Amino acid sequence: MKRHTSRALRAGVAAATAGVTLAACGVGAEPVRNPELSDGDVTISYAWWGAEARAQLTLEAIELFEEEYPNIDVDPQYAEWGGYWDRMATTTAAGDMPDVSQFDQIYLSSYADRGALLDLSGVSNILDISALDERILETGRVDGTQYAVPLGGAANGVIINTTLFEEYGVELPDTSDWTWDEFTRAADDLVTASDGEVRGVSPFADSFSLGVWARQQGSEVFDDEGVALSADVLASFWQRQLDWIDSGAAPSVDHIIETTGATLDQTDLVTGRTAMAFIPAGAFIAYQSAAPDFDLDLVNWPSGDGIEPGFQYPKPTMYWVAASTSEHPAEAALLIDFLTNDTRVGEIFGLDRGEPANPAFTEAIEPDLDDTGREALAFSESVAQEMGDTPPITPNGASTLDALLNRYTQQALLGETSPREAAEGFINELTDSVRAVD
Amino acid sequence: MSALDEFRSISRSRRRTGPAGTDEETRDNKVAAIFLAPWLLGLLAITIGPMITSLYLAFTDYNLLQDPKFTGLENIRRMFTDDRLAESLQVTFTYVIVSVPLQLVVALGLALLLDRGIRGLSLYRSILYLPSLLGASVAIAVLWRLVFGADGLVNSFLDIFGVDGPSWVSDPDTALGTLIILHVWTFGAPMVIFLAGLRQIPRELYEAAATDGASRRRQLLSITLPLLSPIIFFNLVLGLIGSFQSFTQAFIVSNGTGGPSDSTLFFSLYLYQEGFTSFRMGYASALAWLLLIIIGAFTALNFWASKYWVFYHD
Repeated sequence: MKRHTSRALRAGVAAATAGVTLAACGVGAEPVRNPELSDGDVTISYAWWGAEARAQLTLEAIELFEEEYPNIDVDPQYAEWGGYWDRMATTTAAGDMPDVSQFDQIYLSSYADRGALLDLSGVSNILDISALDERILETGRVDGTQYAVPLGGAANGVIINTTLFEEYGVELPDTSDWTWDEFTRAADDLVTASDGEVRGVSPFADSFSLGVWARQQGSEVFDDEGVALSADVLASFWQRQLDWIDSGAAPSVDHIIETTGATLDQTDLVTGRTAMAFIPAGAFIAYQSAAPDFDLDLVNWPSGDGIEPGFQYPKPTMYWVAASTSEHPAEAALLIDFLTNDTRVGEIFGLDRGEPANPAFTEAIEPDLDDTGREALAFSESVAQEMGDTPPITPNGASTLDALLNRYTQQALLGETSPREAAEGFINELTDSVRAVD
Repeated sequence: MSALDEFRSISRSRRRTGPAGTDEETRDNKVAAIFLAPWLLGLLAITIGPMITSLYLAFTDYNLLQDPKFTGLENIRRMFTDDRLAESLQVTFTYVIVSVPLQLVVALGLALLLDRGIRGLSLYRSILYLPSLLGASVAIAVLWRLVFGADGLVNSFLDIFGVDGPSWVSDPDTALGTLIILHVWTFGAPMVIFLAGLRQIPRELYEAAATDGASRRRQLLSITLPLLSPIIFFNLVLGLIGSFQSFTQAFIVSNGTGGPSDSTLFFSLYLYQEGFTSFRMGYASALAWLLLIIIGAFTALNFWASKYWVFYHD
């Protein structure tokens, strides 16, 4: 009797939630195999994040695509980074993920493991990714399946405001081969010369710089097994920042926390409050255009004795993915193919989405590049010689990596816990959330 | 209850009006149903439906993309070992317990001042009401960062006196304080309600008290406050319910992190992070129900306590 009731109850509850459940059922449908393009009119949705300038460029590319394929109508959906992912989560939950989306490596495994993304090998009759380098393509795979087409990969660099160094008469060391000691001395000298008006360095701000730091110490944030980071390495990452703050080379903790998450044009580097920072190389052009009064330079990280070589790696800047729930996988694949291979798209985009992975794109845009663009390309060419193996992308369950890092960084920098304790807390929490989804 | 009684007596009297009344009655009921339908549909589709769904989800592991998996009481068990939940409860309770009474005191004080019949009352009232319209907006939260930042308005002011103020929004000890001030600043809505309430108090009572030689203080304590107590109670209940659910201010001022170091991690902000950033929608649903229970308990406590201090004079 009792059993009967509970079953009835469960059935009732299940019925009440049918809406949500059904919506989620769309995920994991029949795999797509060599679909045919439709002759009739088709509308596909296409989503990306980014600023207004990127929106204009992307809309231009869409127009070109629609001209080429008059029966396909592309519905553009764009937002800023934060809102983009909230919306992605909710629309995907409703079985309504955009047919084609711009994606980031931090979310790639999360969505792929949950069956939300289209296996691109099923549309290889339309989508040709042979122009891309194998090492780059690998970053778009999850467990050996190609779910994403990388747009490019870029190393992490030190951005230097050379105008400030000149203004205060501080000589920069030879940055083509410099050590951490030289780096710190340059930062300190600038603070002394400017009487504290300018700080030498903005501390590490994201998980990308943590990754490079870990590799310099011969470690990784993630390996194939999951979280590989050791507490010692992470503690040293924070200790280095604390040293800079204590010596005055970096701004105060208050100030660092206040500017956390600031938009690019409000960062200390752009406002000239600090002279050096660690940035993804793909963002260099955006920094330079946000700071037209300064002459910015992009160089490799300092190294020196005890630093592992090959610490740089091409971190995938972003991807194109298609939804597994797409009703028009053929047209979605066609749009991705167009965005990946048509050099006219390369010319329109320029370096807005980072340095392109397709060599034909680079060739097409090179003649028209301005100084900043050429500088960015020169940096990646010089770093390319020193690239090490590409680590696995952020695993499922770790898409909160940056939020988590930010939270523990604040604890460590504010002195609420020692760097060592914060490191253990961070690693435990990260490991738990990766294991929870296994 | 009384409205229901009235309704019954009306329908009873209708029935007594004879055979013609029955037709009219059914027609009236139909019309009523049609007029109610939009509201009823809305209630079912956007309130009751999602509530039932979220009650079910509260007992599942649901990552938004795959079918929810029933996990029984796992989410509730998780609450007991969740340090960030404890942190967010502490932050939320501090916020509610400090900011709600403080806001009521400010609103009441200003209402008493304005009630003295100064010239240009409606202008002052509008000006003082303005922050309430803006307070919950994103723009003001952004402004707050600028006012209480290291180079903000507050520190520029302190600088005049040679005080070098800290960055109020990025110090874990003061960040919540800035949000409490933001909440208190939106005193307009309760103030307007207080003003209306003050107008309801019969003037004769004050005249009689003045004749008997009662001081202004005495009048305030023995006439104004007791007669205003139902209004105070109303504002208190609304204020508590509203501030337990505060989200926007903390979200914007901390860039969605609840920082610095979780010092502004409001309950609803944590719930949001769990659901939409960590993809733990099942747990987030359980948290939503916990919030509902907490607010319900506080409101019940309020109603119970009201017997001892709220005075209904009719």
